[in-house]
Amino acid sequence: MKADVQPAISTSVPPAKGHGNETYTALVWRRLKRSWTGMIGLILVCLLMIMTIFAEFFAPVDPKLTGVGFAPPQTISMTDRDGNFVFPPRTYQIRETEELDPVTFQPIVGPDYENPQSLGFFVKGFEYSLFGLIPAQRHFFGATDGSPVNFLGTDKFGRDVLSRIIYGSRISLMIALTVVFIITVVGTTVGMVSGYFGGRLDAWVQRFVELVLAFPQLPLYLALTSLIPVTAPTNVFLAFVIFVMSALGWAQMSREVRGKTLALARIDYVRAAMAIGATDRRIIFQHIFPNVMSHVIVAVTLAIPNVVLLESFLGFLGFAVKPPLISWGLMLQDTATYSVIGSYPWILAPVGFVLVTVFAFNALGDGLRDAVDPY
Amino acid sequence: MALTEKISMAPDERCDHAARTGSPIIDARNVAVTFKVEGGTVDAVKDVSFQLYRGETIAVVGESGSGKSVTARTVMGLLTKRATVAVHSRIEYDGKNVLKFSDRQRRALRGDRISMIFQEPMSSLNPVYTVGAQIIEAIRVHQKMSRKQAAERTLELLRQVQIPDPESRFNQYPHQLSGGQRQRVMIAMALANNPDVLIADEPTTALDVTVQAQILNLIRDLQQKLGMAVILITHDLTVVRQFSDYVYVMSQGEVKEHNTTDALFKSPQHPYTRHLLASEPKGMANPPPVDSAVILEGSNVRVSFMLKHGGFFRSRLKELVAVDSLSLKLHRHETLGLVGESGSGKTTFGQALVKLLTADGGEIFFDGEPIHARTRDQMRPLRSRMQVVFQDPFSSLNPRMSVGQIIEEGLIVNRLGDNKSDRLARVEQALVSAGLPHNILSRFPHEFSGGQRQRIAIARAIALEPEFILLDEPTSALDLSVQAQIIDLLRKLQDERGLSYLFISHDLKVVRALCHRVVVMQHGKIVEEGPVDEVLSHPKTAYTERLVKAAFEVAA
Repeated sequence: MKADVQPAISTSVPPAKGHGNETYTALVWRRLKRSWTGMIGLILVCLLMIMTIFAEFFAPVDPKLTGVGFAPPQTISMTDRDGNFVFPPRTYQIRETEELDPVTFQPIVGPDYENPQSLGFFVKGFEYSLFGLIPAQRHFFGATDGSPVNFLGTDKFGRDVLSRIIYGSRISLMIALTVVFIITVVGTTVGMVSGYFGGRLDAWVQRFVELVLAFPQLPLYLALTSLIPVTAPTNVFLAFVIFVMSALGWAQMSREVRGKTLALARIDYVRAAMAIGATDRRIIFQHIFPNVMSHVIVAVTLAIPNVVLLESFLGFLGFAVKPPLISWGLMLQDTATYSVIGSYPWILAPVGFVLVTVFAFNALGDGLRDAVDPY
Repeated sequence: MALTEKISMAPDERCDHAARTGSPIIDARNVAVTFKVEGGTVDAVKDVSFQLYRGETIAVVGESGSGKSVTARTVMGLLTKRATVAVHSRIEYDGKNVLKFSDRQRRALRGDRISMIFQEPMSSLNPVYTVGAQIIEAIRVHQKMSRKQAAERTLELLRQVQIPDPESRFNQYPHQLSGGQRQRVMIAMALANNPDVLIADEPTTALDVTVQAQILNLIRDLQQKLGMAVILITHDLTVVRQFSDYVYVMSQGEVKEHNTTDALFKSPQHPYTRHLLASEPKGMANPPPVDSAVILEGSNVRVSFMLKHGGFFRSRLKELVAVDSLSLKLHRHETLGLVGESGSGKTTFGQALVKLLTADGGEIFFDGEPIHARTRDQMRPLRSRMQVVFQDPFSSLNPRMSVGQIIEEGLIVNRLGDNKSDRLARVEQALVSAGLPHNILSRFPHEFSGGQRQRIAIARAIALEPEFILLDEPTSALDLSVQAQIIDLLRKLQDERGLSYLFISHDLKVVRALCHRVVVMQHGKIVEEGPVDEVLSHPKTAYTERLVKAAFEVAA
């Protein structure tokens, strides 16, 4: 009849079993797995990243190759002209025909039924070098004879929309990640310093943050745009775009981090560290930063879609990277005229990709938000 | 054997079953509740049976995690969605099984026939409605009554719970009332519909000791006047002894033993009950060596805070003096208790003495050296000699650091130990001294219980081999039996290492077990000081007397 009474002085520690001694990452992962939207987000983000990294492989056509302007998307059919079943599936390139439209006297464009293109996976196409190093010409999907196929049609210069979207995701996501990196570093530093030291410094920094937050963003962006000389080289232009987008974004991040830091700085373990004699630097890096980190990760995943949206929106308004770079924002610049959208709606396709990207990162961020605080 | 044990000490029927006439108003049989958690389920309540008769008070005693609150919530039907009540469980109210009730039937029962008061009166009242409006709502949910009639009934209730000046309280908001008054409002609300059963879940834990007794007395008076049955859930054995007729002792989701209060306290049968009864803090600190040197001295220490007090263009400031020119001397190898209710300034005073807060006036000497004018950087060389253990072991350990890192940090910061392996040896030694195994270095705080965490915090302090430790209520967040262990540990460390403690507490029982001298504080002033036996047995001021009574006999 021995009861579970603990001895007076020493104490029995539960053995390290079950999920008690899991690392922090393992705990977060297990909780993230429970949220199905979070998992969908994670999968989509991974797919998007793979697509971006191997853009050359996934793009069926060279994005700079020109053909028939504003050609509609090619349809994939499982049958030939007479309705007989064929395999592999085939498609017909859009060609200008000899005939002229009786009203406009423009050449009529239509499917070229004479030359069917048969489709396949891992086909040979235009040549590229993977990561700038490995020469290759295999593509994920395309016409077996290597001729261009335009699944989402072409733009006004006859370039393949799908391939341009896949290439454009590179610049768009690169801009988003760089901008978010900058606003995270600046925002977290400003927020932690301001929240930890408090006092007069905090008061002044926060007034400045309020000033930045109060700025009317859109006019500022457009005004800054006009500052860039039109003749500037593309990389300077790209750097400027990144700078302009980062200029206002850090303020919101610093606000969130400051709030969290304020709460953490009053917690007993920070006071205990002070009692031990730890320096401010040690307290900030050892005690506050790791505990703020989880919130920052969430803020980052939610900030990325905002920048993607901003980039495409500013692009629509005419402020985007300069060709020959390709970005979603730049592609959407072409959609600014209504008549074009009305006649050739397929050039709006980048919107679909923006939508998926925004959803993916938001879903992942929401899932992470619930998962990062397991204690 | 488990079966015989259950039959001998915790049968389903009550021990005084034969002496009872009539049927119980609540009859719970084999209640079991499981919670879904990450990676499995937890059996919060495994097998609990109890009976409650009209007009009596039963107490459910147990430490945190024993399942007592979950049992109460099951009766009320207030469990979260993650909880499942076992199908064989039965809780009969007046002969009807409430577990089979529909949501509507339950709502009709809840707050009308059975009502409940909670531990935290701050969060149980809605801050945006007046007290009166909230009680009126509670009445009108269950009774057809005009607003005017309900208001009259509310005033009557407020008078019943003895709130001073009920007419003006009626129109006040919760934040304008003190903690004790809010708990009275909660009781008034619970009584609004003349319930048959009142469940009080740790009703006084969040309140000051002196207020505790008033609230418990009020519950008892009302019970006798209205003939209610009361289930009192508590961890405090003093409360049980004075206020209940029958006691159920719970541990790990099971009733370990139950009996009439007198019989249980006279001859506890189950080892757990005996352990619980024996864990009241007891013993005395060994007397310090006579004429030991003074290690910490504060003279005329004053701390004040500036509060913003309205003002539109220029904020008007109002000074709040938390510590009003206080002096104290602490000798080596001595424990000085700093006692007072919440808000008396004892923690502020303690933190000012170790320079975690800046005092606006007065002088502080540590081992003869003046430290009141030192900056944080200048304090650093002294930090390893003076350490702090905080009240809440859940917030005093960084959740992202392993136990080894937490304890080693002080050694790194103070450049103690020659190299990594020497530091690790010191960390392990500190853990062993604090009564923990030495092989837990790579584990994280969340894997440990409250008592073990507090031991880790103590290990962090003693790893630096300090001469003086400020103990800021180190036991008040812990269960009773763990409290006793921590007190034993602190005493042992003091004897081995000749440590000096400044022990901040509101609990005079713990103070008696640990301290040599005691200083009683009220409103930032010292009202009484002296050797601990003298102050506790012959308090000179009414305030100290109240504190002593609250600690040792509750019914003040």
